[in-house]
Amino acid sequence: MGKTIYIFSAGELKRKENTVVFEGEDGRKFLPVETTDELMIFGEVSLNKRFLEFCTVSHVPLHFFNHHGYYQGSYSPREFLNSGATILAQAACYLDHEKRVDIARRIVCGAMENMAVVLNYYRRRGNESLVSMLSNIESYKGKLDKSDSVAEIMGLEGNGREAYYSAFDHITGGGPFAFDVRSRRPPQNRMNALISFLNSMCYVTALSQIYRTHLDPRIGFLHETNFRRFSLNLDVAEIFKPILVDRIIFSLINKKVIQAKHFEDGPSGGIYLQESGRKIVVSAWEERLQQTIDHPRLKRKVSYRGLMRMEVHKLEKHILGDQTYEPHISGW
Amino acid sequence: MAVPCFSEPPRIGGTLVWYFSICHREVWFMSHGIEPDREDDFLVMGRLIDENSYRRDRHSVSFGDNRFDIVKVEDGTLVVGEVKKSSRSIDAARLQLAHYLYDLWKDGIIAKGQLLFPKEKRRKEVELTEETRHRLDGVYEEIREIACMAAPPKAVKNRFCSVCAYSDLCWS
Amino acid sequence: MFVIMIYDVGERRVAKMLKIGRKYLNWVQNSVLEGELSEGLLAKLKAEVKQKIDHESDSVIFYTWRSERYTAREVIGIERNEINIIV
Repeated sequence: MGKTIYIFSAGELKRKENTVVFEGEDGRKFLPVETTDELMIFGEVSLNKRFLEFCTVSHVPLHFFNHHGYYQGSYSPREFLNSGATILAQAACYLDHEKRVDIARRIVCGAMENMAVVLNYYRRRGNESLVSMLSNIESYKGKLDKSDSVAEIMGLEGNGREAYYSAFDHITGGGPFAFDVRSRRPPQNRMNALISFLNSMCYVTALSQIYRTHLDPRIGFLHETNFRRFSLNLDVAEIFKPILVDRIIFSLINKKVIQAKHFEDGPSGGIYLQESGRKIVVSAWEERLQQTIDHPRLKRKVSYRGLMRMEVHKLEKHILGDQTYEPHISGW
Repeated sequence: MAVPCFSEPPRIGGTLVWYFSICHREVWFMSHGIEPDREDDFLVMGRLIDENSYRRDRHSVSFGDNRFDIVKVEDGTLVVGEVKKSSRSIDAARLQLAHYLYDLWKDGIIAKGQLLFPKEKRRKEVELTEETRHRLDGVYEEIREIACMAAPPKAVKNRFCSVCAYSDLCWS
Repeated sequence: MFVIMIYDVGERRVAKMLKIGRKYLNWVQNSVLEGELSEGLLAKLKAEVKQKIDHESDSVIFYTWRSERYTAREVIGIERNEINIIV
């Protein structure tokens, strides 16, 4: 597995001598094309068609983020893994009410279990106040079996997440990172800014992994296909947000790596991570994605990024009628 | 979810015959357009050997649903060559090559087969017999049956799993 | 695996080696590149090198480790090219 390169500087991306070169204020930097999996572009970067064509033949997708770090869109090379049979089966699963509800339920159940894993991790470290949130999550999870519409499942997911979010101040001690309520577009405080930024990193990472399987990122099961360009990546991210995004947030705050000074007010309201803050968060994110765990069935070490791809493979097998999908539940 | 069956029967090329001897699940994947990750190390190595061996004789030729690695004439006879990474699965390679010879035979072309193992500096002659033709007819039938299954055959560990580009999909 | 590639080749092929190496590895300083490669990519890199060098007079050496963890790196003087996934 190759590297994800994050470009924060301003400059120009080019094809040169059959590889990628970035020409910024600090000079020219060659990026080895054979080991580059994707480029995440935050800075003011210009590029031309010749470069995009090179990205296509080299299978390097580009993801663009705006000034505040919001995801803007992707350039994805013409699909190279294409299976009509798989896409038909995926669409058929979406259209079959029972099958769709079953998958949605499995995803939310996995997400809630991972939320519980995170809270239990901090409870074991002596934070007994988390017990009540844990039992709330547990009770919402119990209601999943009786819910028979995606809207209901979405509702329970919302309830579970609310209970889970109410634990955040107990873990971080509130202070400059007090949570209050979840606010998006724009985030109203630092905690919300952190969650928004890392969630979007998680969605994009899941999207990249889906592109390396045969599933279509546009057809999700929990998240409605109708309203957005991509939805399957949101489904996959549900499983991983607690164990990746939230654990990173707690660790960055508790170790005081990220501080109030890394944030700034937006011009039209809201609070955002500054560039220095974004770089800190991105390094922590990348470090976590590269961490490996022993995969019991594959009998080798798999990184968290790889684990996301395995999750998509498991969904693919479920959809093909091969093996029932069981979400990844973290073992710590 | 059952995968819809296609009205067009699978096109049986050399690779499908090869996979038939290795793993039936792989046959199902291939016949449903489910290709493995291109960046898989074993595939990268395989392509490399493919591209860099026997550069002189190399005239990759398409014939029906097949792609012959090497086509040459020796002593007035047409010879079809197939390059393999190792002789580990020589029986599978032999069947694949026999399938090429059979397809040519159906068009009235008599040819000889040569299996080439550049890494081991070995080659092996393959000939088409009445018996192999009969065996291949049975194989085609079985491949069609596998391709028509509503779901892939269950994953079963075999000695090729450790070098298979589908292993992430099978064992995730 | 972690790979260091160093080359000592005829003048006319110096640029070629650099060009090939940079597709797979990060340039460190004159005639030295390093980086993480899979076995398949290393084989691909070696095949490219083999095609371009003069086997009678050029020399290209690959040092490999199973993981970067087993290596230590210390720069005395200046770091000519800082390698980072954040650009």
